[in-house]
Amino acid sequence: MSFDNPWIHGLVMGLILANVALVITGYSIWFERKFAGRMQNRPGPSVVGPWGLLQPLADALKLLQKEDIVPRSADRALFNLAPPLTVFCALSALAVVPVGPGVIVADLHIGILFALAMGSLTVFPVWMAGWASNTKYALLGAMRSAAQSISYEIPLLLSATVPIILADSFRITDIVNAQLGGKWFALWPPGPGIAAFALFFLCSLAEANRIPFDIPEAESELVSGVSTEYTGMKWGLFQLAEYLHTFIISLVATTLFLGGWDGPGDNDGIIWMAIKSLTLFAGIFWIRWSFMRYRADQLMAICWKFFLPLGLVLVMLTALWVHLI
Amino acid sequence: MMLWLGFSLISLVILNGALNVVKSDDLVHTVFWLALTLLGTAALFVHLDAEFLAAVQVLLYTGGVVTLMLFGVMLTRRVSEVRIVHGTANKVRAIASALAVFGAIVLAVVRDKQTAHAVATDLADTEALGIMVFQDMVLPFELLSLLLLAAMVGAIALARKVDPS
Repeated sequence: MSFDNPWIHGLVMGLILANVALVITGYSIWFERKFAGRMQNRPGPSVVGPWGLLQPLADALKLLQKEDIVPRSADRALFNLAPPLTVFCALSALAVVPVGPGVIVADLHIGILFALAMGSLTVFPVWMAGWASNTKYALLGAMRSAAQSISYEIPLLLSATVPIILADSFRITDIVNAQLGGKWFALWPPGPGIAAFALFFLCSLAEANRIPFDIPEAESELVSGVSTEYTGMKWGLFQLAEYLHTFIISLVATTLFLGGWDGPGDNDGIIWMAIKSLTLFAGIFWIRWSFMRYRADQLMAICWKFFLPLGLVLVMLTALWVHLI
Repeated sequence: MMLWLGFSLISLVILNGALNVVKSDDLVHTVFWLALTLLGTAALFVHLDAEFLAAVQVLLYTGGVVTLMLFGVMLTRRVSEVRIVHGTANKVRAIASALAVFGAIVLAVVRDKQTAHAVATDLADTEALGIMVFQDMVLPFELLSLLLLAAMVGAIALARKVDPS
């Protein structure tokens, strides 16, 4: 049994990468609160540990101690099944994302499709939770989330088609390799590349229900949407899944459009992947604390009347580019 | 051996899911069982090395099932109180027709061993699949999209409020 065995390789890599992703996700919540604090001219968490660094641990402990409440009228089985399933769907997309040269759990030849399919599966546990809670706010949140996910999936797939055409492969490793040496897809077909990157990024935000597309859990209208009836660690799992999803979006967007681990000159390596993806991740927080959320009908209008035609045009332009050059 | 074991396990999941789609008396549970059945089918594709088909199965069918679910909840009033009644009067006829369909499929596969095999090996290769759909069979493919377009236009025509003037 050596490390070349796909089972051993997958298990070891999966354990390492999943844990790294979970730690980064935990600390991203600390980072976001600090960041938001600085943007609003206040210190953010600063009491627990130096610079408030132990805050995520304290929060996790607090969540674990909270009382676990299942509403009497809830559908018990589905209610309990939904939170772990959301984390499962969010985390499984990580399996096909290469973090560095050879640092990947499973290098599938349909990698990007797998990642997008797993992202689209998230709608099931969300709907499950909204339905099983048996209250109007949770159900409304779930319906909004489902409608949003299946709509934004189409421009998301179209924008992901652009790097697939350029690299001539579904395998994410091949897509990164095609960009090595500074030929990032966000820059190289000048115009369509950066537009496809923006489209992919925005549609991913919509799929992960992040501001400005977070109407499924709009606090001012729906209490907190799908997770309204959840307490303690089950609520925590929903939060975890959302941040995890956001982190994995940053990773996938980096590999598809920003050259993955490609650095200046010959300095390729995981460090560049980390810098780029974490910058994108921080950018998502920046967006969250700078913009308001859209209205539900505006959200749908943007998707069908602007993003979808844009995606189609970009795919055609890219195909033309590849054909001519 | 591994092939058999994997196939049997996945089949069990699919059959169990499909059975529960029919048996469950809660509309929303039915939908989740249907999703499980379709995911099982995707797993079967992976097991047969047709990863592309598996990914497309998940991407398209999950979207389809979610849409179904939304319509089910939006169009049915008080879904939670609706209990689906499973009739027993048609049992014999139902079993007979199910067996007939099963027999037809088995017959088609057994008789046409060669085609079944050829298609299976072709499907495993994403590139071959692309060439087959977009070059060799591009006309049927486009006709199929026309059919979908017709269905969509029909749906919009049905759903649109008629202008009284």
